[in-house]
Parts: sequence; C-alpha cells; structure tokens
Amino acid sequence: MNKKILALSFILIASLVSIRCGDQLDLEPNNSIDANNALKTSADVEALMVGAYDALSDIDVYGGNIQMDAELMGDNGELFWDGTFVSPGEIWTKSMLINNDQAEATWLDSYETINICNNVLANLDLVTEDRRDRIEGEARFIRGTVYFELVRSYARTWTDGTPASNPGVPIVTEPTTTENAMAKVSRSSVAEVYDLVIDDLTSAETLLPEENGFFATTYAASAILSRVYLMQNNYADAAEAANRVIESGIYGLTNRYADAFNKGSQEGGNATIEDVFAIQINSQDGVNDMNTYFASSDYGGRGDIYIELAHFELYEPNDDRLNLFYDDERTGKWNNQFGNVNIVRLAEMYLTRAEANFREGTNLGDTPLNDINLIRERVNLDPLVVLTLDDILLERHLELAFEGHLIHDIKRTQSNVGDLPFDAPELIFPIPLRELNINPDLGQNDAYL
Amino acid sequence: MKRNLLLTVVCLVFLYVPVFGQERVISGKVTSAEDGSPAPGVNVLIKGTTIGTATDAEGMYTLNVPAGNNTLVFSFIGFKTIEREIGALTVVDAVLEPDAVQLTELVVVGYGTQIKQDLTGNVAKVKGDDIKGIPVTTFEQALQGRAAGVFVEAGTGKLGQGMKIRIRGASSVSADNQPLYVVDGIPVTSQNQSSFTANTNPLTDLNPNDIESVDILKDAAASAIYGSRAANGVVQITTRRGKTGKTKFNVSYVSGVSTPTNRREFLNTEEYVELFMESRANTDATTLTSLENRFDRYGAGNRDSWQNPASPNYVDTDWQDQVFRKGGFNQIDISASGGNEKTQFFISGSMSDQEGIIVNNDLTRLGGRINLDHKATDKFSVGVNFSLNRTINYRVADDNAFSTPMQIIALSPMTPVIDPRTNLTSGALDVNSGNPNTNFPIYYNPLLDLEYAQRTTTIFRNLGTFYAAYNFTKSLSFRTETGYDLLNQHEDAYYGRETARNSSAPRGLGNDTWTQVFNYTTNNYFTFTKALDQHNIEVVAGMSFQESHTDYSDLTAQQFPSNAFKEITSAAKITAGVTEETAFSFLSYFARANYKFKNRYLLGVSGRIDGSSRFGKDNRYGFFPAISAGWVLSEEGFLSGNSVIEFLKLRASYGVTGNAEIGNFDSRGLYKGVGYAGVPGQSPERLENPDLGWEQTKQTDIGIDFGLFNNRISGELDYYVKNTTDLLLNVNLPGHSGFRTQTRNVGELENKGFEIVLNTANLVGELKWNTSFNFSKNKNKITNLQDQVIQGDFLSRAVEGEPIGIFYGPKYAGVDPDNGDALYWAKDTDGTLIKTNDYNAAELMKVGDPNPDFMLGLTNSFSYKGIDLSVLFTGVFGYQVYNGGGKFMTANGDFFDNQTRDQLARWQNPGDITDVPQARLFGANGTGESSRYVYDAGYLRLKTITLGYMLPQSFISKAKLQSVRIYASAQNLLTFTDYEGWDPEVNSDTYASTSTSQTTGNINQGIDFYSAPQPKTITFGINIGF
Repeated sequence: MNKKILALSFILIASLVSIRCGDQLDLEPNNSIDANNALKTSADVEALMVGAYDALSDIDVYGGNIQMDAELMGDNGELFWDGTFVSPGEIWTKSMLINNDQAEATWLDSYETINICNNVLANLDLVTEDRRDRIEGEARFIRGTVYFELVRSYARTWTDGTPASNPGVPIVTEPTTTENAMAKVSRSSVAEVYDLVIDDLTSAETLLPEENGFFATTYAASAILSRVYLMQNNYADAAEAANRVIESGIYGLTNRYADAFNKGSQEGGNATIEDVFAIQINSQDGVNDMNTYFASSDYGGRGDIYIELAHFELYEPNDDRLNLFYDDERTGKWNNQFGNVNIVRLAEMYLTRAEANFREGTNLGDTPLNDINLIRERVNLDPLVVLTLDDILLERHLELAFEGHLIHDIKRTQSNVGDLPFDAPELIFPIPLRELNINPDLGQNDAYL
Repeated sequence: MKRNLLLTVVCLVFLYVPVFGQERVISGKVTSAEDGSPAPGVNVLIKGTTIGTATDAEGMYTLNVPAGNNTLVFSFIGFKTIEREIGALTVVDAVLEPDAVQLTELVVVGYGTQIKQDLTGNVAKVKGDDIKGIPVTTFEQALQGRAAGVFVEAGTGKLGQGMKIRIRGASSVSADNQPLYVVDGIPVTSQNQSSFTANTNPLTDLNPNDIESVDILKDAAASAIYGSRAANGVVQITTRRGKTGKTKFNVSYVSGVSTPTNRREFLNTEEYVELFMESRANTDATTLTSLENRFDRYGAGNRDSWQNPASPNYVDTDWQDQVFRKGGFNQIDISASGGNEKTQFFISGSMSDQEGIIVNNDLTRLGGRINLDHKATDKFSVGVNFSLNRTINYRVADDNAFSTPMQIIALSPMTPVIDPRTNLTSGALDVNSGNPNTNFPIYYNPLLDLEYAQRTTTIFRNLGTFYAAYNFTKSLSFRTETGYDLLNQHEDAYYGRETARNSSAPRGLGNDTWTQVFNYTTNNYFTFTKALDQHNIEVVAGMSFQESHTDYSDLTAQQFPSNAFKEITSAAKITAGVTEETAFSFLSYFARANYKFKNRYLLGVSGRIDGSSRFGKDNRYGFFPAISAGWVLSEEGFLSGNSVIEFLKLRASYGVTGNAEIGNFDSRGLYKGVGYAGVPGQSPERLENPDLGWEQTKQTDIGIDFGLFNNRISGELDYYVKNTTDLLLNVNLPGHSGFRTQTRNVGELENKGFEIVLNTANLVGELKWNTSFNFSKNKNKITNLQDQVIQGDFLSRAVEGEPIGIFYGPKYAGVDPDNGDALYWAKDTDGTLIKTNDYNAAELMKVGDPNPDFMLGLTNSFSYKGIDLSVLFTGVFGYQVYNGGGKFMTANGDFFDNQTRDQLARWQNPGDITDVPQARLFGANGTGESSRYVYDAGYLRLKTITLGYMLPQSFISKAKLQSVRIYASAQNLLTFTDYEGWDPEVNSDTYASTSTSQTTGNINQGIDFYSAPQPKTITFGINIGF
C-alpha cells in the first residue's frame, strides 16, 4: 500500500469537505419565508389580508373567547361555569385577578390582528387598483372592530364618566418593525379610541363592496357601526346603520331559528342568509371556542357552561328557541365543532333598529312593533300588540343569548349584574400584568389597583 | 501476535535509532496489571538521573539511555512505582500494579484524551462499570450524585421523558440550558423531538450498558474547544471498544419490580361530603338540593354511594390505587469483545423492557452495536462504530391533561371505578344517550385512556461513525472522522370514541406523526505530541462541520367507523395535515495546545471559531478562547519525599464559551403561511434581528487536586465563576406591537459555586471500604435583564437580581381568625406590611426559589472476598416547589376536585387558628397563585444500594466460566424529605417543556402539577463472563 497516496487522498477529502461547508451556513427557512420577500406583489398583500381574518378568527379574539367572556361577565345566575380553567371562572365570579390569562391572551391576539391590518394598510400601493378599495376596507373593518372590542373590555364604558378623559387602550396604526418594536405606547382616551373605530368602520363601509363572499362587506361594517353607536347611546345613527343592513335586501331570517346556527364554512359565501358576518370554521381550519365551552363532549366540547333555570324561566312556553337547548342545561347554538362562529346575524339588526327607533320615537325602516314581531313570529310566538322598552330588551336578550352581547347590553342600558352597577370597576378587564411589567405607565384599571 | 508487536517495535526502533555509539535506545510497553490495558502517561526515568520520558496513549515509550545506566524507574500516580533492569535488553516492558486509590486515569476531552494528572481543566468522569446494571431508563439518571456540579432531575416518574441536566447552573434564560452531548466524538441529537408538549429524551435510545465512560467537561479550559455550544458543559460519552486478547463474552440479566416512591392522602367519601356540604353552606353558591344531586351524579346515580355507609352501594374509592401499579424492569445484555493486534471488536446486543409505575406507561428498547478498530499498517488505522436501536415508548398524556393518570386523584371518592349501571369503567357509557358520559365522573376518567387510547412512540436510532487515522511520524498524526446520527420517530396515537370527553372527538381521533432527524458531523484534525527532555507538548488543530436536518409530518383525522379501525386510512375526515422541514449547520475551526514542563508546570490554550446558520448575517462567527495553567507542587523538591502529600496540583483556567441553542431561524424576519376557511393567506411571524449572535459565558475556575497518605485520601476542590453576557433572551415586546417576544442579545447572569470531591480508601486489604463524596453549591443570579420581568407559568419568573425561576407573587399570610378569609401581605401607604384579604392588593415579592442551595452524593463501597456492597446517597437541599395543582386539590373545597387531607383543618369558627381558609364553594378563598402553594422540598435519597457476590473461581471454572456475579440492587429505596407532595424531585412535563410553543421551560422549575413520582425499583441481576 502506498501510504503517502493514501494519506494524501484522505487529507484531500477532508479539505474538500471543509471548503464545501462554508456556504452551507446560509440555510433558508422552509416552513416560513423571509419577511423581506413576503410583500412584493398585489397577491402578497391580499394574502396578508387573509392572514388578518385568520388572526381575527383566533380563539382569543372572535373565535369565541371575546363573546364567551361577555356572557360570563354579564351573567347573573342564568348560566353556571363548571370548568377548571381559572380565568373564565374569575370572569364569571367578577373577581378577575391581575394575572388573568384570558385578559392577557385577548390583548395580545387582538393587537396581533391589528398589526396585520396595519401592515396591509401600509402596503396598499402594491395592491392592484381594482382591488385596492376592497383590501383597504377589509383591513379597516377588522382593525376598527378589534379596537372596539378592546375599548369596551379594557376601559370604562362610553356612558360611564367622561370618555374624553377615561383611559382607553393604546392606539397603534403603523406596522411594527424591528426599529419600533420596543416603543411604549400609552393609553389613548376612550373617546379617541371610539373616534378611530368610527373612522375605520365608516371608511370601511364606503370602501367595501356589497358582496364579498364570506369576507367583510359594506353591510358587515354597517352592522358593527350600529353596535358602536348603540354603545354610545347614539340611537339615531344606530338605527340608520342597522337599517342600511336590513334595507340592502341581501340578508334574511332563516325559516327556523335553529337553522341560523351550527353551519360550517361554505365556499364562496356566508353559510346562511342570516349571517351578515361570521368567523369561518371548517374541519381543517379554525377552532370554534364557543363550541369548546358551551357544547357537551357529545358535540366535541368541554361542556364547562351549563344553562340555569333562571334563564329558561324567561321564555314563553311555546318559544321555539327553547327547542334549541338540550340535556335540559345546554344551549344548542354551538353544537358544531367545525361550525362558524356567528358574529352578526340579521336578527340583531332588527332588534337594534327596533330599540333605537323606539328610544328616538322614530320609525326608520319600519315600526319597532313590526320589527319585534318579525323576530317573535319566527319562533312561534304571538305578536305583541303593545310594545315597551323592556319587551324589546327581553326579546334581544333571548334572541341573542349566548352570542356575546350580554355585558355590553347591560353596560349601555346602565343595568346591573346582580349587586354590581353597570359602572362597577369589577366589570372591566385588568390591563394584563405582562403589559404593566413592560410599561408601568399604562396604568391599571381601578378594580385592580 | 507477539511477532506483530515485535515488528512494530522493531519498526519504531528502526525509524528512530540515532546513530550515537555510546547510547542505547530502549523501548517498551507499559500496561496496567488490572486489565492489561496500555498505561499512558507513565513516567519512565533512568534511575539516578533526570533523564526520562512518558508513555504515549498506547502505553509505548522510547528512551535514549546513556551508557553506564542500567535501571529504569516506572512511576505513575495511583500505581506502585517499579524498577526494571535493562541488562542486554532493548525492549523493556513493565506491568504496573495499582496503588490504593486511583487518582490517575485518562479523561476524554474534545478531539482527544488527556491524563487526568496533567489536566488543567475540570472534567468529571463516571465509569461505565459504575453505572452498569442500574435500572434506569437513560444513563443520565445513573449520573445522579456521581459527579460534582452536575444536577440531574428526572422531573416525573414517566418513562423516557425529558430530563433536566444543569452543569454548574443554568447559563441562559431563554436558550437551552442542557449540555452538549458528544458520543465517540460526534455531537448527537439530544433535543426534545416529541410532538406532545411534554418532552422526550433522545438519549434514552442509548443503551447505558454500552457506555465505557462519561466525561463531563465543566470548566472553560475543558469545554471551550466545543466553542459556541459549550456554555452548558459538554458530556462526552465513550462506548466500549474491544481489546487485544482472548474473546470475552458477557451475558447479564437484570430483573425487578418498581413501585411509586410515595402516595398522598385525599379525602374519603365521608370527609368529602362533609367538607363540600360546609363549603356550599358558607357561600350559597348553589342549593343544597343541587349539591345533593351532584353527589348522586358523582356516585353513579346512587344516593347510597355517599349517604349510607351501611349500604353495599356505599363507595369509597382511593383513585391512586387505580393508576399506580407495580411496574417491572427487565434487561438482558450480551456482548463479545476481543481481537488481535490488528483488529479489535466490541459487539453487543441488548433488550430491555420497562413497565412504569403508572398504568399504560411502558418502554422497550432493543438494539445492538458494533465497534471495530483495525490497524491497516503501523501508521494507518481505520474503524467504525455502528449502533441501531429501536425504542418503543408507550406514553401517557401530559401532566396538564385530564387524561394524565395522576389527575385521577381529582375524581370524587363516591364515584365507583366500575359504573354499576353499565358494568363498564365509570364514564365510558351514558345509557341514556348511548355515548360516553359527559358529566360523570366529575372529570374525564383517565382510566378510559387506559382502555381506549394509545400513544405509541417508536424510534429507530442509528449512530454510525467512520474514522481513519494516519501517523505521519511518531509525533504527528491526522484523524478524520465522519459520523451521523439518524433518528426516525413515529408517534402513533389513537383515541377511541369513549375518550370523547377529553379528545373532543366524538367518533374517534387518530394522529400520526413522523419525525426524521439526520444529523452528521465531520471532524478532521492533526495531533502533534512531543516529549523533549523535560518538555511535553501536545497540539491538536482541525476543523469540524455539522449539519442537522429535520423533516416532520403530522396527520390528524376524526370519524372512525369503530375502535377496531385505528389507522387514518379508515377515517372519514382528515382534520389536519402538516409537513415541516428545518435545518441548522455549524462550521468550526479549533486548536488546542498543552505544554508540560518537568512534569510540574502545565499550560493549556485552546480556541475555536464557530460559525452557525442560526445567527444573524452580521454576526455569524464567534471566537471562543481558553487558557489554563497547572502547577504540580508535589513534584517540587520541597515536597518530594513528603510522607503525607503524595500529589498536589493547583490549577486555574479562564475561557469563553457560547450558547447557540435557539430556534433555527430566530435571527430572521419571518412570514408564515396561514389559511382561513380554505383561502390561503400569510402573516408576520417574527421580527428580524440581523445582529443576533452568541450568548457568551466567561468562566474562571480555580482548583486543587490532591492525594494524601499514599493516595488513600484524594480529591478535588474547585471554585468557579461563570459570567454570561449577551443573553439569548426572548425579550418581551409590548403587546401592542402585535408580537410577543423577540430573541435579542440582552442581559447578563452569573453562576458562582464550589465543588468538593473527596475519595478515601478507609480500609484496604481483604476488606476494602472506599468512600466517594461530592458536594456542590451553585448560586445563580440574573444580573441584568434591563428591568424586564420574564413570566413563566404560575409564579415562576426571571427577575433581575434573583436566580432564574424564582417564585414571585403574593405572599400568603394565613387565615383571618375572625372570618376565615385567606390573607396576603400588602404594603400600606407608608410602606409597612399589612395583611389584606384582597388578592389584587397583595404586594408581589419573592416567595420561593426552586434552585437548590447545594447538593451532594455519597458512595460507600465495601468488598470482602467475593462480596461487594455499594451504597449511594444523593441529596438536593434548600429549594422550594410550587404545586400548580394546589388551587384545585388544596383549595379548601373551592371546587369539587377531591382535596388533600390537610384541608380538613379549614377555618370553621371565629377564633380558629389555622392556615386553611374557610371552605367556600366557588369562593376563591385563598386559591389565587401565592406562596400558599410553595413548599420546601429538599431531600436526601438512598439512590442506589447494590449487594453483589462474585462466585468463587473454583466453583465456576467447572462450568468453563470466567466470572459469575449475582447481585441485588435497589433504586430510590428511601427518601427523606419535608415535601408534602408525591416526590420532591419534580418538574411537571407540561411546564418544563422546551417545545417550540413553550419558551419558558428554563424559568419553570420546581413545578408540581399532578406529576408522577419517581419509581422505587428493586432488581436482581446476574452477570456471566466466559
């Protein structure tokens, strides 16, 4: 054996290996892509817009928790939290601790959604002209909607004290970059946040088309606007906004009440004619957290929430809505594990229009009595002849039960939750401890000082 | 054989004979009398002169002997010094007899070996023979208490789970704190590969009985040659190799049983009913009727189950009985080793079968290894290591799942194990709906998992290394080695429809996950050794490249026709499918030089340049130097002949090491693909950090090695300071940024400590008694986090000025004797501490520390004739554990979970003095996270006790056997602790996880969350050599 050749050859191999290795430090990610290559074309920004819907559908945003928390926070004996998760239990007993996980998750995931919208808005110039308005409208719709949910969860309600001086939530309207990521933004006033919300939603209303598959339309924006105005006790504008949705003629009430729920996402459009806007879920995408907590394990849920007798007692005996309950203690609104999370149903628009008209003494669109009777008719109830505000509010309570309206309706009508008045500080979420650790200047809400 | 040796020697002689007439060239080989292995580093001195040399790694030496000198002196620490006459010989071999206690041995350092005596760094060595046959799942468990400064924690008693290893403390807040594992020179995949939250440990795939030695590189001088990944220490595993000689066969079999180390006490039915009756009455949160109906429901619809102790239908279930079991341990190993001068081999096969102490938890391992060395010529040698193992781990659910066996203790005692209405396990079937029960028992019954679910992880693990080495001259050699580690893992899970309450899949759920990690490394380096008179020099220099590539796919489906169908091909609905690919690479250049003068002055320098794909474009390469020095005082004239001091060395080292264990693309700005109802989308995932670089640890180590009284007392003392800067920190971003964290080089922390190792030969002679003691104390402190508080789970935090993972939160102040309210300490307006019943008003403060103050290991081994006894105690002291399940199980009847028995001491009447607040159903009275659930947890454990008997030769030689040893061994036999939970050695698998979704695994320490206790295992074994 020629040892020298042998020795030389394996030194050669070794050095070849070592030379080849140098550029192998430049590995590219496969599961994700470099951010610098992410936004180059119109299609890229449109895909980013879809990303915003995905973020909006997160369980801690509109995938269910914001709505469930509104029900738990507003409850006074109509439901029973029987779960082991501590955070929802604290919300239900109105004794949230400053480190409540849900308060943190909703905050973080909401701002994640907002940041995606801000990125879309900052890159609109990439979007093809004929789609630009729609994309801008969708981004502003989602951003406005999320800020609205934040301000009504983490701050004093509009009718409590002075919105112009009550601290709201931090407003961020620019995309986060490496450079500005550490910037500490303080809380804007409640009024400022509402201004942004109304500006975003009214712009969205103008920019968005009438039909847009299951994505946001001009009427989805009108619908959320009607909620915003209602929170402000601005009944005239609320009636107008709700009326625009109804008058569009695009939406209708499903024949049976039960048909309005538990439909999975369908390609190309809303799952029911009643949906004005819904979070889309299918078996491969999205988690319906209303199902998780309200449905029994026969339907894929944890079954942490039971409905109590006090709720059933509110119904008239032949109310068809009673038939949607099962096991004598559960609502059947969320029985499809892979079903959509309804955000706005047309029924709400009738109820809003009726209430707003009633309070204003107007008959925009139709009379309050007719609107209420329309809702009653579908569920086999006799029409009312005389209408009171209490009738309207009860109808709203029953029609929209367990869909995420409770605490907000209580606050705007200045009602009570048990012994707690509408402006009780316990009914407001704490600013997450995590955020205060980073930026103590945010200031904590009164109940948690 | 002899002729070959002779040839070799002649060859060497031929090459090196200087042609001076009056001198003679004498060469030879020095071996150890113990096992005939070559003895390197032996001093060979010409008697009456200072002329000498030392043997090389093969035990060979060559010496020019001037005329007139006729005697060689062979000396080596730990061996008896001997003299040999040269006479007319040119080859003088020597066989050294061991002295009382061995101080000297070879230690495996990076890219080579060193003689411990000459070491200027700190390396702890554990011999394979010391841990052989110990019934552990993975070899790290056997290291507990055997190496100073090495903290080993199993976390839970589940088999094959992730282990926590900390060498001289945690050096990072966000990056991995586990050491680098190197098997036969090749870094192996040791990171978690589990698709569950709970980690698995890829080192479980190694057969502990294949290990020849474990060398733990602790200080910078020892570890800096591994540069960017050495800050957490380096664990070098060397597998067994063949030795020249007759082929030896070895068969060993060990078998035994295990039981949990501890049980807890929970309320029985009578106590449960009493407590909750009282709890309800105190709050009126629900009506008495509703409560009684609830009890009926929990009692399988039977009021007698809880109300009527006289009835045959009365139920009082201790649920622990249902999930704890008598586990088992069986392992058989067969090996053959031997070879001739040219070729040596080691072949082993092994099979082990372990049953965990909790139901449904088993682990089997089957595998083999072949290590082959071949000398093609006297200059050129090649070799190969090849091992293949199959590990099957039958796992149970993560600690935080209702389905985890230990959560069964939350079930009510009036619930029968078998539902009398169906004669099935309680919860399996609701006769009204035909589906599993949705609200009976109180929670999902984990026993349903036992019957209707499986989580099987099958791993094929193949480690292979090829090497070639060439000796250019006697001084200069080159070695190239390429090794790969192929890990192929299949996780196959099926959850039947009876598990719907837990799996949220009413008609069955299947999940199939494949992971493949191909991790290869090539090392190429030169070694130069030279002994010139009194100068010894060794230089190692070379390069290394490593790339690891992971492929992952995961498929989830629901809707199975029946439980007989378990493969996804039979499912009606595919609900999720994922494929992923990721990779990292390291390119490194390294060098080390060791210089020894007069056998007493030692100097070492090393350096490594590391480049990694993980770091930002602007910061891709790092430099990691180390310097060390030693002074062997015992070689100095003033100490020579000292009857007390046999050996004394001072050493000091300083160096820089790094940590690179972060996500593969943490430096990059990333966008991820997402979908919304079938429409593709994308969204930002991570912000860019082009400056992201290494976390640096500068370590100083000062040590003394000593041997006294003929080495009957020997030991090591070390003091070290590790300063870590540029922490790889997942910095919390303000939530309104839309991101949670960004990995930045921010912050500093420090570990300081000392270690004592003491070995004594108390009795020598026929009755031998040796004691080995180690003690270590480490103090961890985060010195700079730029005022951030990094939250873990529960009360675990990383806070500036404190050790990592302290418990930080409200301090529990007991119970108000007037009204039974839980109280906390709050700060009054003037700053004085006052008690409050308002949790939100409580002052947040440090209320515990999960980092132990100190730990120790104490081994006493005795032997008399053929009998040997070894007793190892381990202790970990001065730390606290947080019971994350406390707010459920120790909650004074807040919710319907069964309660620990200590809750009977609840406040009942004004004036009661107790620490347990008034029972209030849904009252959250004292259930907020606070120091109420912090417990002292230090422990002393009889870790291993082994009694063995070597059958007399006279007896076994008839059967043509070489050796037969039978032994009995117990693991974790006794535990002494104040901890009130199951086991003080605990860290819940859910919270300790380092999976990508969990970035707080380092901060979450000492968390108990329905964690399974350690097993107490008693085994019997036999070891036959022939």
